[in-house]
Amino acid sequence: MNFWLLLLPSLLAALLAFTIRPYRAFIGWTSAGLSLVSLGAALAFVAQALEGGPTPTWGFVLGPLHLPDVLRADSLSVLLMVCVAGVATPALFLSPGLWGHTRYTPTQLRRYQIFTNLFIAAMLLAVSANNVGIMWIAIEATTIFSAFVIPLKLNKASIEASWKYILISSVGIALAFVGTVLAYFDYVSRGGEMELALNWPVLKAAAPLLQPEVMQLAFVFLLIGYGTKVGIAPMHTWKPDAYGESPAPLGALMASPLFAVAMYAILRWKAVIDISLRSNFTNNLLFTLGLFSLIVAAFSVVQTTNYKRMLAYSSIEHTGLICFGFALGAPGLFAAMLHLINHTLAKSLMFFVVGDIEDHYNSALIKNVQGMAKLMPWSAGLFTVGLFTLIGLPPFAMFTSEYALFHAGFALHHPWLMGVALALLAIIFISFIKHLTQMLYGSPPQDTVNKTQKWGLAILGINIIILVILGITLPTPVRTLLDQIVAIVI
Amino acid sequence: MNDTLFAQLSTLGASLVLLFGIILLWRRSLMAYVRAFQQQSAVLAALFVVVGYFGQAPELYVVAVILFALKVILIPRLLHRMQNQVGIGYEATPYLNVASSVIVAGLLVLLAYVLTRPVVLTSTLPTRGGLPLAVGLIFVGLFVIITRKKALAQVVGFLVLENGIALLAVLGTFGIPLIVELGVFLDLLMGFLVMQVFIYHIQDTFESLDVDRLSELKY
Repeated sequence: MNFWLLLLPSLLAALLAFTIRPYRAFIGWTSAGLSLVSLGAALAFVAQALEGGPTPTWGFVLGPLHLPDVLRADSLSVLLMVCVAGVATPALFLSPGLWGHTRYTPTQLRRYQIFTNLFIAAMLLAVSANNVGIMWIAIEATTIFSAFVIPLKLNKASIEASWKYILISSVGIALAFVGTVLAYFDYVSRGGEMELALNWPVLKAAAPLLQPEVMQLAFVFLLIGYGTKVGIAPMHTWKPDAYGESPAPLGALMASPLFAVAMYAILRWKAVIDISLRSNFTNNLLFTLGLFSLIVAAFSVVQTTNYKRMLAYSSIEHTGLICFGFALGAPGLFAAMLHLINHTLAKSLMFFVVGDIEDHYNSALIKNVQGMAKLMPWSAGLFTVGLFTLIGLPPFAMFTSEYALFHAGFALHHPWLMGVALALLAIIFISFIKHLTQMLYGSPPQDTVNKTQKWGLAILGINIIILVILGITLPTPVRTLLDQIVAIVI
Repeated sequence: MNDTLFAQLSTLGASLVLLFGIILLWRRSLMAYVRAFQQQSAVLAALFVVVGYFGQAPELYVVAVILFALKVILIPRLLHRMQNQVGIGYEATPYLNVASSVIVAGLLVLLAYVLTRPVVLTSTLPTRGGLPLAVGLIFVGLFVIITRKKALAQVVGFLVLENGIALLAVLGTFGIPLIVELGVFLDLLMGFLVMQVFIYHIQDTFESLDVDRLSELKY
């Protein structure tokens, strides 16, 4: 029942947008309203997970398709559901076409509503699927749906961005499928063919018997594959382009929940493969790629001229940190999951605000955006808070999770790695502050077109409140959920 | 006896599939690309039937039929239609010339043999001989995507890569679970349709299908 409430609303909204043409504002409002149902279902799942008890599952048997538990909601899935639904709701409320003035035509808005909702549905399916094959299918589908929304305005830049995005992501995700097939091959050659072998709990239970050599190869493919989707360097090249060109709410959806979903896929597989390998193989790979991501992020942030691309590089930075966390045992994983929550909150906040800034200034270049503090004080405030969070200033939540992460790193005797990482974070810190001051001060250009305030941005206050609470204390439900996740994975 | 025949047939099939992939490297016309992909898919579908028969996996017949309909009939037809609309193109100057491309392909297949050694050693399947060829085809597909300049050639490279994965799945596991297989086909079709839409957009906006013109976005 709960699964239906989670997955159906966004599909219904997509259907509504598809059947009623031309686009009218009430379609946007309806789909935003429906997303509240999804969010409610996700929160109900959280409550259920916190109570303990049996893990909710759902399935069906239909002819040759024997799928008794195709959907499953353990604590890890539940957390991700909230991350997805929690960003989907503000994204749909702040969508173009709900607040009067818009740069887009009704046809473009109709396409936006259809594919954004399908995109959200695919992400929700990916995190609730029990079968890692179905998880793969859903993640691949996210690429396809989002590729339709990036070039809402057709021009050279947006087409280039989406072509790179779809080609690189499709190839990457295909490689993740190679990894999945190799793991399944390993399972089949140990235990014989089985319809349910790709179910995660089955796979994890069988992991000690699997061949380490084969699983090693499988992990390389899986990490490259899903890593492309996350944007781990050196597979990150599509990211600044796609984030830079997409409409702001889609940027928010891609930068925070989609990022989290792909990270989730890596974590699921790492859990299985670690048991099979009994070595540091996966951790070493994650350390290497994580460090590389930090390096790439630090040097790209310094020379960026576009504030949307700047956010993409910040994403690559946080990818690196979360990779470190995954590789640092139980305390690291705890910190990494907390960091994932914080990143979802802060990065989505940033993209929504950035959408407003872009509407005002009609430019995504830092040099064209001056005097924000005077021209749009509220948005400037939100932007500043989001940026302070992203660079890890207290009292905002990322300070806590980064502190926990580095603490775990030093405790596990990686002083050099952590030292280098801190130095790179310092570079990012300084260049962010530099870009910020450029945007906040100075004299605003005279010919700004659009001066309407978007009062909907007020709902982002919720993000800030949660970020501050998480920065000051760790509430018991969050701690319990994270502890449960660590117990599931390790 | 049966097992030897099965092993021979599957290795033969896998080699043929790989060979059609390598054709992409020495032909220049996009027409030839599409034809090579079509023939490769036909051999692959036949291989699904062979594995289904010898491996006693009847659901592979269903998969073979869908594969045939999709990759031998539907997608090649769409590719031809695309060519009619954007003009028959030639891959005039790929980033790497033919001779070096073929040598690199050989090295890639060799690399595939090295990488899959543990897989082949631990396996007792009669089809294990073809596994390195499948991984080799995946690498060749990747190589085509990287070195070709025409967007359409990149799409064919991607389809060939997909064929490589299908080959790996059928030889290694006698087919992945049916529900996953169906989902993969659905994704493939949708993914292809998206790419098709973008090829038209690229043609319209850039008046060419050369992807090196897509180089505006920096920093």
